[in-house]
Amino acid sequence: LSEVAYSQSTGQKEQLSRCLQRGIRRVQDLCKVLQLPTVFEETAVSYFQRALQHPSFHLVSLEKKELLGGCCVFVTCRQHSWPLTMGTICSLLYAKQELFASVYLSLQKELGLSVPALSLGDLVKTHLNSFRVFQHAADIPAPFVEDKEKMVARTMQIVELASETWLVTGRHPIPIVTAAAFLSWQSLQPAARLTCTLARFCKLAGVDLPPPAHLRLKELLEILLRMASQLTWLRVFNMDKKTVVKHIGDLLQHRIFLLKNAFCLEDGEEQRAVALDKGCPGSPPAAGGAAQEEGCPSEGKRQREGGPRPLLPPCLINPRKRLRTAAPSASDSAITGDEAISDSEIEQYLRSPEEIRAFRKAKAW
Amino acid sequence: FKDDLSTSPQLFTHMSPYDVDLPIQTTEDVLFGSQLNQPKELPTDFSSVDLSFLPDITQDNKEQNLSEDGNEMQKELDESMSRNEDSSIFMDESGLSYADATQPSPEASGACPPLTPMTPMTPVTPASESSGIVPQLQNIVSTVNLACKLDLKNIALHARNAEYNPKRFAAVIMRIREPRTTALIFSSGKMVCTGAKSEEQSRLAARKYARVVQKLGFPAKFLDFKIQNMVGSCDVRFPIRLEGLVLTHQQFSSYEPELFPGLIYRMVKPRIVLLIFVSGKVVLTGAKERSEIYEAFENIYPILKGFKKAS
Repeated sequence: LSEVAYSQSTGQKEQLSRCLQRGIRRVQDLCKVLQLPTVFEETAVSYFQRALQHPSFHLVSLEKKELLGGCCVFVTCRQHSWPLTMGTICSLLYAKQELFASVYLSLQKELGLSVPALSLGDLVKTHLNSFRVFQHAADIPAPFVEDKEKMVARTMQIVELASETWLVTGRHPIPIVTAAAFLSWQSLQPAARLTCTLARFCKLAGVDLPPPAHLRLKELLEILLRMASQLTWLRVFNMDKKTVVKHIGDLLQHRIFLLKNAFCLEDGEEQRAVALDKGCPGSPPAAGGAAQEEGCPSEGKRQREGGPRPLLPPCLINPRKRLRTAAPSASDSAITGDEAISDSEIEQYLRSPEEIRAFRKAKAW
Repeated sequence: FKDDLSTSPQLFTHMSPYDVDLPIQTTEDVLFGSQLNQPKELPTDFSSVDLSFLPDITQDNKEQNLSEDGNEMQKELDESMSRNEDSSIFMDESGLSYADATQPSPEASGACPPLTPMTPMTPVTPASESSGIVPQLQNIVSTVNLACKLDLKNIALHARNAEYNPKRFAAVIMRIREPRTTALIFSSGKMVCTGAKSEEQSRLAARKYARVVQKLGFPAKFLDFKIQNMVGSCDVRFPIRLEGLVLTHQQFSSYEPELFPGLIYRMVKPRIVLLIFVSGKVVLTGAKERSEIYEAFENIYPILKGFKKAS
């Protein structure tokens, strides 16, 4: 009777397949790279084990299994309000976002996991951590360096403003944070920074400039301009998207009051009806929609003058021209499915002998 | 009651909402796998069954409804069965129930009689307290068995409206103008028809494709026509705070703006997936019958209204 190691006699290692072992190691490595608390690692590993046992994941490709580990880490982070974005995980795993997305959605569904929404506030703090403008460096002009606390606080306020004015719902969060960070940075020292573009700012800060950020910036400025039009002492100035930046501090301070006055916050349905109204007679008057009295708030163009515009998501303010699928016509609805099918109708879909000959010659079937 | 009933197992036909047009090859086998286990037992005791889904019975249509009841019942029970977590139970029972099949269903029969409508053809008139909005059907996916082996290369050569790239996809892609649809025709003789705006149009289109195949010289039949998925859409006409909805309906909702701008709502009864967007537009999918789409929308409308004035 020789000595047997505990792990050998209990078959601990044998119980776990090599695939599972490798997967668990990967999850643990990921947690270490992200410097997550130990409890996260345990949770992620347990999700991973549960998932792999589930019939939907048991037989998926190795590629998907690798992503599965990342998904488990991602879910764990979200459940602990640790602001990890999918973009980050995907880049760590060198994964295609579409594939990650499908694995993530399956995981959420099959394991019945409840994943809390990404906290924007936390995201702001984490994302700003990677900006390089908080410390003096050789390539950063002195007036561009900013105090981190101030910038985080102001960025949060701008992101909240964006959220209240429908700029956040349905949109990717990072570009909004980037645009908000840029505006907050500019507004803290406008004199020196107004000439700096978003692109240059991102380059200096050492962060990526996501393509939607330009559009988010534009939308934010439009909101701020509308709010500025309600501040009596600012009405004297001819505000544009450059000059309004100087007053962001004030605008944020009084934002509740300004939002109420700059936009009609009442019945969403009426607002939409008016916004999309093409001036047909008998349209319902919107509450406080003085600017809409012309009847046609020209799609795509902003109403600079006049009263408040409805507070709506941009996709409703500027509806893109879309093919209107015609409502089923009377003849369509009358179809029973049993109609006779004429020979001629079918024959139009068949090639003539000459065609076949020509096709054969061309394709050498 | 429902536990006693030994019905056929429903192989979980997972049609994700985004796959409505081009299912991958393996889907075909899953779809037709479930067709083989059609025989159902009709329960004789209705006392504990929820009949609220049935249309109102008047003197005139009473007789008609009695025959439709059975089919509706089977569908309702099948739905609830497939929703059960432990599908393995049904795998075992299938061996027992198979031999007991007494209720012939139109789908199992070899002939193809004119399809008895399972639901009323006209949309259910909304009750006075309902939304007053009727979702519009946008896409119907159906399948049919032509019941003969097909030479796809031959079809692609002789048909004008056919596309065939065997390296890319193992089926002929055929299109007709009226009803404007697309068909995937497999060498096994199975066919998928997509793009129609109503069940009847889907059936008419499928019949036309079958006729094309017949004219090309194949002994095509028209067996087991079945609507597999229906997609509808509508507009509630007010913006929706998706962040709020995902908080209050966490167990049904998935809202990941990093992935997709809409909120994915998986309704349990009826088993429909809804895509809800900030603009107030709603897409409903996963239905086998149009009543499920209407019912799902009527269920979601009051919930969405709750998020209307959240600014």
